[in-house]
This record gives sequence, structure tokens and C-alpha cells, in this order.
Amino acid sequence: MKSALTPRRRARLSRLGPNLVLIAAALFFAAPILSTARQALQKVPMPLLTWGTATDKWTLEGVRRIFDEENFWPTLQTSLQLALATVVVTLVLLVPTTLYVHLRLPRARSLVEFLTVLPYVVPPVALAAGVAAFYRANARWFFNWSWSLVPFYVIMALPFTYRSIDAGMKAIDVRTLVDASRSLGAGWTRTFTRVLLPNLASSLVSAAFLTATVVLGEFTIAVTLAKRTFPTFSFEYFGRDPQGGVALALLTLLATTMLLLGLTVLTRPKAQRSRRSRRPHPPTGMSS
Amino acid sequence: MTHLCFRRVRKSFGDTVALEGLDLEVREGELISLLGPSGCGKTTALRIAAGFETGDSGAVVVAGTDVTNVPAHKRNMGMVFQSYSLFPNLTVRDNVGYGLRTRGVGRAESRRQVHDMLELVQLTDHADKYAHQLSGGQQQRVALARALAIRPAVLLLDEPLSALDAKVRTSLRDEIRRIQSELGISTLFVTHDQEEALAISDRIAVMSQGTMEQLGTPTAIYRNPSTAFVARFIGSMNELAGTVADNGRVVDVRGLHIRLGQPHRGDVGSNVRVLVRPEATKLVETGGLAGSIISQTFQGASTTVAVRLDGSEQLVDVHVVGSLEGLRRAGDTVSVDFDGSGAVVEPA
Repeated sequence: MKSALTPRRRARLSRLGPNLVLIAAALFFAAPILSTARQALQKVPMPLLTWGTATDKWTLEGVRRIFDEENFWPTLQTSLQLALATVVVTLVLLVPTTLYVHLRLPRARSLVEFLTVLPYVVPPVALAAGVAAFYRANARWFFNWSWSLVPFYVIMALPFTYRSIDAGMKAIDVRTLVDASRSLGAGWTRTFTRVLLPNLASSLVSAAFLTATVVLGEFTIAVTLAKRTFPTFSFEYFGRDPQGGVALALLTLLATTMLLLGLTVLTRPKAQRSRRSRRPHPPTGMSS
Repeated sequence: MTHLCFRRVRKSFGDTVALEGLDLEVREGELISLLGPSGCGKTTALRIAAGFETGDSGAVVVAGTDVTNVPAHKRNMGMVFQSYSLFPNLTVRDNVGYGLRTRGVGRAESRRQVHDMLELVQLTDHADKYAHQLSGGQQQRVALARALAIRPAVLLLDEPLSALDAKVRTSLRDEIRRIQSELGISTLFVTHDQEEALAISDRIAVMSQGTMEQLGTPTAIYRNPSTAFVARFIGSMNELAGTVADNGRVVDVRGLHIRLGQPHRGDVGSNVRVLVRPEATKLVETGGLAGSIISQTFQGASTTVAVRLDGSEQLVDVHVVGSLEGLRRAGDTVSVDFDGSGAVVEPA
């Protein structure tokens, strides 16, 4: 007798392929993180980190040492300030620009999109070296200014930030909403604060987050312009104290993950958040 | 009394002329449809009325006041858009109240008026929902309520039904007409759907390539199209080649004389095309042009019979009340005659 597959078995079989891929991907990502954790948190010399020593000498010593580093807090503060400034400049520049392109110049969209990917084409070191050569000779004050990294970071983050804001505007049919708001008597300010900002919030938050991530991880330009930021500190610290350096990397990874989770919760649409808590409206409740 | 008036409004985008000096008057309480194919300038006209676009020249006058240079948010126009335009972050109630709050109407008063508007479009039960929880038809009804809540001078409807499925489209169309008549609000309705325009309008302005081809009641537009474009765009037409005869009162189509309602001005003997509606085309016993039946399409109250005229590849449609069943079959030889009283003639 022929053994026919039951629908349930067939379904289970068809799930096998995707599940294998998922498991492989999970391993691919988890293995380096686990190795990093062992290097950072086990007081065992690196060549001896084998299966046999998996449970030996776990300690937070490496993490504690980071906080004793005198340059840890100042460079972290510098990078956070740079991130904040970059986010502000990016949003102030890009939101009106993208809005203008959507409302008035839809045909220019592909051009703008192309311009925003230029940072991918020009290597950061070339960008920084060229600009450094120019400003060192012509405007030394800019070169020495502590905020001089901000314009570079704005450009570096463009491919991510523009796309995020653009996608946000595409998702809500910004032109119709603006027209609707204006036909109902709202000027630009009210339209912006009551209609655009609330509906673009999630894309603006992710643009801001992506910008901050770029700033907190950027190394090349900071080094080329001889600035001390958190990434340059991490690099330099790793050279001095390999285990501490790895612990710092792990810590950064954890912090970024927490931020990402926070972002996911924060940018859930308002309507979706309220859906569960809202009772269905009684059909006769409006008879006042 | 004229309520909304376009005076020689011209608008071009680069080299493309969207409106070629539009003159149109919408009377108090009247619903005028701007009907035409895409790119004919109808939406441009509506957007100029709303203040979203500015004409290159000409003027827009509302209730005697020139509003040509008044920005959109100060014009007091109620607009419903083709695409769903409810603010996703606001509930139905807040959407409808948006224009009122913008105008500084108090919370309690605004709430009362919003309720009245939702009652008008029969959506009071949905006041606390968000746009994504509503069907397309419901969203457009909320959009209509929102546009009407501000008591606009003119209601502007930009193909509000085109995203909806056929059944909802018909019911919402009738609802729009009911509410519009009830409130007596002057309305400009843009559509590319002739059936919609015929059903809903007091008058129809048929547009083509930036100009208005004809303005008239649905009956006049259908029965007496003033140009071949209007004739072809509204309903269907049988087109026959012929020559002008009898001082323009008759078109000779291969020996058959079609007597025209309006004499044609072309020279006697010149070649023309005559356009006759299928319902003005008849199967006759004697006279007429000979042909054979190709197919019959039963439509309930009537049947459309397709006839191929002898000696040509020309097909003509004949509307027959009821059905031909049992009397004629495909392949049967018939004679076809044409009533030219509502025919349109154009030079060939």
C-alpha cells in the first residue's frame, strides 16, 4: 500500500526548509556574540577558550575596568552630543526638503535619491581627507571646531535618513493629507504639527535612531580629522586592553539592542497601541 | 444666481496646456459634473477652485468675491479626494471636527456639529474608529462629512467614487446627491465616468484637452451632443461614412438617405461621417441598408444586435426592446435604418 502524506505531515515537511535557514542564520549571528561574551567576561587566556573551559572564571572585571578609564565618559559624552546635533541638523534639513520634493517636485525624487546615496560611492576617508586638506588651508577654525564632524555625519547618514523619511511620506500620501488639511482651513504650521508630525513620527524616530547609530560607530572621519570620539576611544582602548576592549564592544552591542527594542515599542502606530485598550463603542451611545 | 464662476481660467504645466481659458458658472445649489478623459483638465480646474493650483491667467469668483489670490486654507471650500484622505492619527470624530477646531469652534459645539454630520452620513456608530478600521466607502463618507462640517461655500468632489467597487459606488453616488440636494450646496463633481455624471448632475460640462466641449443637462448632452467628441464620449455611437446631400439636410450613406435634425454646414457632395446612437438605429422590413446579424447580446430590458452591413466590414449596433429570440438568429439577413434627428455629422 502506498503511504500518502497526511496534510499535517506535508505542512511540517514544508516548514523544514525555512526552519533550517532560520536556525543557520541564528547560529551565524549568535556564535560571534557568544565568543565575544566569553572573551569579555572569562578570565581565561584566549588560546584556552575551548569547550572544556566554558564555565571557568566568569567575571565582570573587564566591564568594571572600562568605567575606570578616564577617557570613557568624556568621549561617550562627545559622541552623544555629536549624535544629538547630527539628528537635529538632519531632521531640520531633510524633513522640509523631502516634503518639498513630495509636494512640488515629485519628478526630482529619483535625482534626490541618487544624491543621497553618494556617501556610499565616495569612501569616507577620501571625503574627509579632501575636506580636511581644503579647510586646513582655508578655514582653520572649522577644522579645529569641536562640532566640525556634524556636517560629515549628516552626509554619512543620508542614505538611511532620506530613505526612512521618504518611505514615511510615501506611506501616508502626504500630498493628499496636506491638501485636505489646508482645504479645512489649516495653515502650514497647523498642518505640520497636527497632521504631518504625528503621522511621520515613526519614520522620523527611525531616521533619528539610524543617524545616532552612524555617529556612534563612525571611525574613519573622526580619526582623519583628529577628533576624540567614542569609536576612536574604543579602538585605542582595545589596543591597550584587549579584554576590556572586547567587553566595551559587548556593552555597546547591548546598549544598541536596547535602543532598538525601545524604538520598536515607541514607533508602533498610535491606533494600534490603543486598539486593545479601547472598548467597542455601543451602537446607541451617541444619542445625545 | 451664480455661486462659483471660472472666468477665462488658463493653466499650463510646462508645454502642456491643462486649461485653455475655461468659462464656467455653477449656480446656487447646483451640481455640475466636469466629465472627460484623463488629462482633459477637469482635475486642474477643481484644484484651481480649491486654491491648490493657481491659474496662469483668469479669475475664480465665489459668491461675487474674487478669490483668485486667496490661499487654499482661507477659501472655505469643502473637498473630497479621490484617494483616501482621512488623517490616520485621528479618530472619525476628530477628523470630522478638524476643520471646526481649526476655525476655533468650541469643544462642545464642535462635538454637536460633528454628531450632526455623522448622522447625515449615517456613521455615528463609528465615531471612535480610525480610518484603517473603516471600509473604503465608509472612509469616503467620513471625508464627505468632514468637508461638509465646515459649511463650505462650495463642495468640490475629485472622483470620490473611483476607488470603490461598483455596488458601493452606486449607493454612495446616490447618497452624495441626496445630501447635496438636502443641503442645497453648490457642487463641482469631477469624474471620468459618464454613467456617474449622467446619474448625479444638474448639468454636465464635457471637457477635452483643456477646453469645454459642451455644457448642458444630462438629457441634452446625451440626445444632442454638440460635437463628435461628446457624442463618442457619452454612450456609444454607430459611425457611417456618407456624403452631404439636399443642402445639408440629408447624408447619403450608400443610397440610404439619413435626414438630419440640424442641417450640416458642409458643402453638398463632401465626404462626412455621421454618428447615430444604437437606440436610433432600427431593424426594418423594407428600405434601409442590408446586412446580416453577427451576434445578439441580451441585456434584460433590451437586446443589442450587432449587424454587419453588406459589402463592407462595417458593424452597427441596434438596440431592440425585449429580445429577438425565436425571430432572428445570427446569420439572418436584415435591413437597418437610421433616425438622424439626433445624429452628429463631422467631416471625414
